[in-house]
Amino acid sequence: MGTASGIIKALNSGIKHLAIKRFTLRYPEQKLKFVGDGYQFDPVSGVGIAGLKGRHMLFHDKCTGCQLCSIACEGIAEAIAMVKVDEKWKQNKKSIMPQIDYGKCVFCGLCVDACPFYALYMTNDYELSSFSKEGLIYTPAQLQVKPNIKQDAEIKISDRGATHG
Amino acid sequence: MISKLPPGIKVEQKGDNDKIMTLNVGPQHPGSGHMRIIVKIDGDYIVSCDPDPGYVHRGEEKMAEYRNYITNIPHLERPVIHDSCNILYPYCLGVEEILGIEVPERAKYVRVIASELNRCVYTLYWLAIYGIFLGHSTMFMWPAGDRELLIDLLEKLSGARVTHAYFVPGGVRNDMPSNFEDVCLRQINYFEKRIKQYDSIFYSNPILKSRTINTGVLRQNDAIRLGSTGSVLRASGIDFDLRKKEPYDVYDNLDFQTNVLKSGDSYARSKIPWLDMLESCKIIRNALEKIPKSGSVRVKLKPNPKAGNVETYKRVESGRGSLGMYIISNGKPEPYRVKISVGSFRNLICLPYLLKGEKLGNMPAVYWSLNYWPVEADR
Repeated sequence: MGTASGIIKALNSGIKHLAIKRFTLRYPEQKLKFVGDGYQFDPVSGVGIAGLKGRHMLFHDKCTGCQLCSIACEGIAEAIAMVKVDEKWKQNKKSIMPQIDYGKCVFCGLCVDACPFYALYMTNDYELSSFSKEGLIYTPAQLQVKPNIKQDAEIKISDRGATHG
Repeated sequence: MISKLPPGIKVEQKGDNDKIMTLNVGPQHPGSGHMRIIVKIDGDYIVSCDPDPGYVHRGEEKMAEYRNYITNIPHLERPVIHDSCNILYPYCLGVEEILGIEVPERAKYVRVIASELNRCVYTLYWLAIYGIFLGHSTMFMWPAGDRELLIDLLEKLSGARVTHAYFVPGGVRNDMPSNFEDVCLRQINYFEKRIKQYDSIFYSNPILKSRTINTGVLRQNDAIRLGSTGSVLRASGIDFDLRKKEPYDVYDNLDFQTNVLKSGDSYARSKIPWLDMLESCKIIRNALEKIPKSGSVRVKLKPNPKAGNVETYKRVESGRGSLGMYIISNGKPEPYRVKISVGSFRNLICLPYLLKGEKLGNMPAVYWSLNYWPVEADR
């Protein structure tokens, strides 16, 4: 008797799920919405600002070429290399800026914590796939571009279950 | 005849009529994880079993000796990427002690919320695997789907879906986003409603019960003698939870209870993590009530902090049992030694004792009920 009622209970629970909304994110059409513009860090207070740890963004007018991001990455992924740039900035005497290899980066964000001049942020852009390994290496000029992606799907909870809306 | 058998399977002749076959389960077999279990069977019954871990050994302890206290964070969470907050917890507590840092009150609460969310994420992943290896594919899909609710919360909190790198010595990396408390409360309430339904489809299911009840029974004195921890120990009737017995951070301010079952079989071992998840929901709600509304979440450290000639051992209750880290410092920016002691490896020791005399078909039910994560055990 216990066996029969147990199976009926399980079946009943399964049948109830026929009426529940689908909880699947249809990825290329829908993209999840994130908090803020990406992970940033305030070196004065020593606390970060919540956001997705995606592709970096480099502000050329703030970068001094101090290499602290590269030193922070040395023990982690060795993804950051300092390269020569053609631009002339007053604060950047050596004209070197970070170049990030996303084939190695683990997106921990400790380079953002290391930057004392607010020059390196992380953005909501996470679609970095490429057909070649060279395509994953982002030069300072590529890192300067602000990503433009539409992300609007959010988890909505109603009586008929959760859905990505 | 014997030479035609595929490699890995051989028939051992013992006496005239005794035929004992050696079977290698793994390391490629999906039912074993990243490890090999050498099983000797007589017919359908297991005569002896020899677990052979070590296929995913990465030398985390040695790597920790060449990096400073901050850059150790991303690689130390790699053994359990689903439970990364809990594996960083003892490291952060230990480094804070040897550096003499006092963590702000708000950071302690944020840590508790993050580690409880992470415990649920790990448990759901484990439960999905446990379900699929018992042939219950619904139990694979439901936890894998509901896990998204918590991963979404952790993504809002820390900025990454797994491998958060969120805990640091001195607090947490960033504060909670502005409307996090409301979103967290809403999704946790829904999540609790969802996981309560697992009872009707999985834990009350007579098919599951017939396969797991009285399978691989670990008695109370054996559980102590073999040194098991976490859900395995609590399923054998011993009330030992580090969150209660040695409360760290703010666990002594929160209302929760530990779940203990008496029977010590696979069914009890698989039920304890589920009961713990329901308890985690209560802890998160309680922590969201009691959290200080404002304040700092991180103490600013000097670059390359150095400690004196000190050593410390800290342990926390992770999803798989007690997880301890023994940190020795010799005055340099890098630690002299980081020894990681994990619950997974200690629970694996029980496996040869539990499988003796069981049917081969019950092996996944016993093996996965040990709450064992091969990557963490190898470190």
